[in-house]
Amino acid sequence: MKQFFKKKESTILCVLICIIIIITLNNSTFLRPDNIIDMIKGNTVLGIMSMGMLVVIITGGIDVSVGAMIAAITVIVGKFMVNFTGNVLLAFLLASLSGILFGLINGLLIAKLKIPPIVTTLGTMSIINGAMLYYTNGTWINDIPESFINFGKITLFKVPDGQGGTIGIPIQILFFIGAALITWIILKYSIIGRGIYAIGGNPVSAERIGYSLDKINLFLYSYVGFMAGIAAVVHTSIMRQVDPNAFTGFELQVVAAVVVGGANILGGAGTVFGTLIGVFLMAAMNNGLILMHIPVFWQKIVLGIVILVAVSIDVLQRKRTLRKLAKVDID
Amino acid sequence: MRRFSKEWMLVGVFIFLFALMSILSPDKFLSLNNLQSMAFQLPEFGLLSLAMMVVIVTGGINLSLTSTAALSGIMGAFALSIMNSAGFDVGLTIAVAIVVSVLTSLLCGLINGSIISYIGVSPILVTLGTMTLFEGISLNFTKGGAISGFPEQYYWFGNGTILQIPVPMIIFIVFIVLTYIMLEHTPWGLCVYMSGCNPLATMYSGINVKKVLLKVYLFSALLTSVSSVIMTSRYNSAKVDYGSSYLLQSITAVVLGGTNIAGGYGKVMGTVTATLILQVLSSGLNLLGVKRYIVDVIMGAILILILAINFINSNIKFKTKNKSHNSDSNSNLIVSLLETLKIAKKG
Amino acid sequence: MDDKFVVSLKNVSKTFPGAKVLDNIQLQVKKGEVHALVGENGAGKSTLIKILSGVYQPDDGAEIIINGQRVRELTTISSVRQGIAVIYQDFSLFPNLTVAENIAISHEIEEGSKFINWSKIEEVAKKAIERVGGTISIYDQLGSLSIAKQQLVAIARALVHDAKMIIMDEPTSSLSANEVKLLFDIIRSLKESGISVLFVSHKLEELFEVSERFTVLRDGKYIGTYNADELDYDKLISLMVGRKLQFERCTGNKIGEPLFAVKGLSKKGNFKDISFTLHKGEIISLTGLVGAGRTEVAQALCGITSFDEGKIILEGKEIKINSTEDAVENGIAYVPENRQVEGLVLSRSVEDNIVLTVLKQITESKLLIKRQRKREIALNWIKKLNIKPSSPAIAAQNLSGGNQQRVVIAKWLASNPKILIIDEPTNGIDIGAKTEIHKLLRELASNGMGIIMISSELPEVLAISDRIFVMRKGKIVAQFKGGEVTQEEIMSNAILNQPALAK
Repeated sequence: MKQFFKKKESTILCVLICIIIIITLNNSTFLRPDNIIDMIKGNTVLGIMSMGMLVVIITGGIDVSVGAMIAAITVIVGKFMVNFTGNVLLAFLLASLSGILFGLINGLLIAKLKIPPIVTTLGTMSIINGAMLYYTNGTWINDIPESFINFGKITLFKVPDGQGGTIGIPIQILFFIGAALITWIILKYSIIGRGIYAIGGNPVSAERIGYSLDKINLFLYSYVGFMAGIAAVVHTSIMRQVDPNAFTGFELQVVAAVVVGGANILGGAGTVFGTLIGVFLMAAMNNGLILMHIPVFWQKIVLGIVILVAVSIDVLQRKRTLRKLAKVDID
Repeated sequence: MRRFSKEWMLVGVFIFLFALMSILSPDKFLSLNNLQSMAFQLPEFGLLSLAMMVVIVTGGINLSLTSTAALSGIMGAFALSIMNSAGFDVGLTIAVAIVVSVLTSLLCGLINGSIISYIGVSPILVTLGTMTLFEGISLNFTKGGAISGFPEQYYWFGNGTILQIPVPMIIFIVFIVLTYIMLEHTPWGLCVYMSGCNPLATMYSGINVKKVLLKVYLFSALLTSVSSVIMTSRYNSAKVDYGSSYLLQSITAVVLGGTNIAGGYGKVMGTVTATLILQVLSSGLNLLGVKRYIVDVIMGAILILILAINFINSNIKFKTKNKSHNSDSNSNLIVSLLETLKIAKKG
Repeated sequence: MDDKFVVSLKNVSKTFPGAKVLDNIQLQVKKGEVHALVGENGAGKSTLIKILSGVYQPDDGAEIIINGQRVRELTTISSVRQGIAVIYQDFSLFPNLTVAENIAISHEIEEGSKFINWSKIEEVAKKAIERVGGTISIYDQLGSLSIAKQQLVAIARALVHDAKMIIMDEPTSSLSANEVKLLFDIIRSLKESGISVLFVSHKLEELFEVSERFTVLRDGKYIGTYNADELDYDKLISLMVGRKLQFERCTGNKIGEPLFAVKGLSKKGNFKDISFTLHKGEIISLTGLVGAGRTEVAQALCGITSFDEGKIILEGKEIKINSTEDAVENGIAYVPENRQVEGLVLSRSVEDNIVLTVLKQITESKLLIKRQRKREIALNWIKKLNIKPSSPAIAAQNLSGGNQQRVVIAKWLASNPKILIIDEPTNGIDIGAKTEIHKLLRELASNGMGIIMISSELPEVLAISDRIFVMRKGKIVAQFKGGEVTQEEIMSNAILNQPALAK
């Protein structure tokens, strides 16, 4: 129990619980299953992408090209489906392959040319976004095939909706759960996953015990690309159309969710659980403010303050432990 | 013996591009109209790039740059429209509006600067938070709409000319000179560079590094507010998302201008030249019928290319001049340590 | 091949640009023995360890035999695979991972598996922790453990790697007496299971408690290898100190009125009850081992860190020093030990570095820097201190160590300080330049400055100090007048709990 309270995630969890309580006291519909499901469905793309962002942030990197990648992949997949087939499997395949390709480019530039991640991904963001907008001219893709739209409507596991009826869980949420699960398994059970933490904690030692920084970077950024691919298909299945401009500024939202979830931007720390809380926190604030009839504009103010307070407390705590450290053993 | 500095190389690139565009489309590119329109567009972006540069020189980054600009513009716009409709004297109205803009921006800079320097949170996180915060405040004031109804005279800052030279350009030049003087000719500027390279040694020398850093964010905020005055005047309104596309572009310009993203190095001339290059590229390509989006692609490619060249260059230097592997910014130190390890392994 | 040695090094030399730090060293460690590597600060122990762990490559001609096999090249990875494990002072562990992972993860990597078998990791880690007799939970995050426990984890990790020889670099420096005892028990049990320990320490009592053989280095040279029973404290100290190059003693004779006094300065975990008085024209030395708290005292005196208790008195008035700014304003200058990190902004010019303490002097009407004045000041000090190359525009990183040190000194002299605190003034500087810096310090003192020198280099301490304070474990344990003490006396006070035993 004591261990639990020491963890960063628990602080954020407490904040989340407080927010939920406040919202529920104001409007009891918040905790109704249909509302919860809607809220999560509306944030699956953020959730999936946060999983990708989490792994790079643990190594001390960052990927600001995620918004551009998702947008470009929605266009690629959308065009493909309009022109060829609405086969869902092929859509996923194409999306993940394009995502991995984008990611590999980032990874190669970062690993081989040692350009700082933030600058590299800034560059590729500009390239990917520009190319995509050039191709689409910013116009929406509307005539998504019926078969794909039907896929997006699939729901599973009926649960009571709190009003006497039942409601199914949208398939998109399963992808979110899947992404979280895969990321958790990678981080927890794979050699490379532990390497991600090792590099974030002590890169020199990590190399010394046999991890290759280059290989891990290649993997990482490809993984982010892969997640962008999945997120893109899921997004299209929710929206049933493609807006090439839908993801401007999305990258910073993703970073915010991960950081609020307790990941250290300097590397070394961050968990799937924490990131999930981060995503839910952002989702709950968004949804709750609407339910409480507070103008949606307040959401950003509250979020901004939450970010500032969370990161400041973290630094202050670390400073305090550092100050306590004895340097000389005095008899 | 000394090779051309990065900045002169950029000037060369600029001249080359300018000449190229002039040859490719002589009647359009070199027309007074086009030159003027470039001169109208450049300053707001140039000022934001300079604001970003002073922060990056200290090893930081300012993601709240454009939301600061938007908030400061919106507050100024409020002052303008309220006082204008209340029938105050035009000169007074404009003066008050500008003061409000500048103060708002400085307050934003103060928040950033104090959390970064006195609490010690990494700049990317602080400014990510304040970016969201400032955006939220702006949205609250405007409810997502635009504020307009400015006195006509305000229009002059963004659209007027003096002797054919656009007013924003003149303002830009004044602030280029000011920034140059501040960085290169004042003790504060020297401290900015010194602490950007090695904050520890600078602090050991009796310099209050925290105060220096705070002032960096305040100065950055000042430049931002000037940019926001030009923007509100040029668009004759204020809105939350005015200038938001400049955020990542300004980082591109700064890095392209030779500033070290890890801090310690960066010249006003480099950044200004980089913004000129980006402007010439986008206007020139636009005139040639190339779509704006391709310009983005080209800019991204240039950014990566320049950094790749820098990397290869420094790598060669490192191998030939093996003995001075003592670089000072911390990240460089780690990189060079890693390099030493690698060489040691090979050797 | 003689295979009774785990590790046998012969003809190992290491040259860095401008300095030969190891000259023909040999080191032979038997199987299952505890071998002490001793020498003063700068004798070359760390460099030798770095060669053993593959961080540095020795000069050509070195012969390295590990487990009877001649080794061509040691890299950081192959060294581990050969069974050499180094417990560095910083342990090279991962603070953000759990104890179990720190111990066993590299094992998993070597096995080449793609996924982690947590139960196996836990099993391996548990066993290893048991072997070092620790009571550490393997699920704790490493960063949350005490230094002593982290050290045990590092040792446990070495055991998992099937280490044949464990190198412990100053392992007891941050341990309490009980923890040291525990560590020695572990060392003995390692020895019983046939693992050798190369023990690097300054603490002679501890060395004699566990070591069987001693290899002594001095100034990068091999002095000899001795069995423990051939040695006593006196003999070992004299081997370490040796008949080194003696600096000519240059003393002043004009010691003036009291200038600066420290009374009862204490900081928890750093130093305790430090008191001394410095007079005008006087050079005092704070000497002792690295980690005795000397630098911590200096940093507190010049506002880099704070202190809990005590008074600082300047010219009869108590002063408060809360920041480096305060220190500079009060005329206290600090030349730090690590000039490349703390002393200089390497990529900036010599000129920029020199004027950093006198920004007010070169500023016109509080606004703009007067370039000419700046250049004048820089040129003046470059000339006075004979800094070479003499161009003020050259980046500090392109200067030699001695000249870099002069730039740091110039920076502080420019501020016209009353007190100069100088930490290891001649560290990494060649002999000729050392003497010049000594002369410079003496000259400054004779002009009325008070100088506090922190130095581990005893000949230097003897050569220029008017008074010598010896620190051990955060306290001043002895005080001598310059010229009335020998290196051996200082050393035994710095090293031994009861120096009288040495006699």
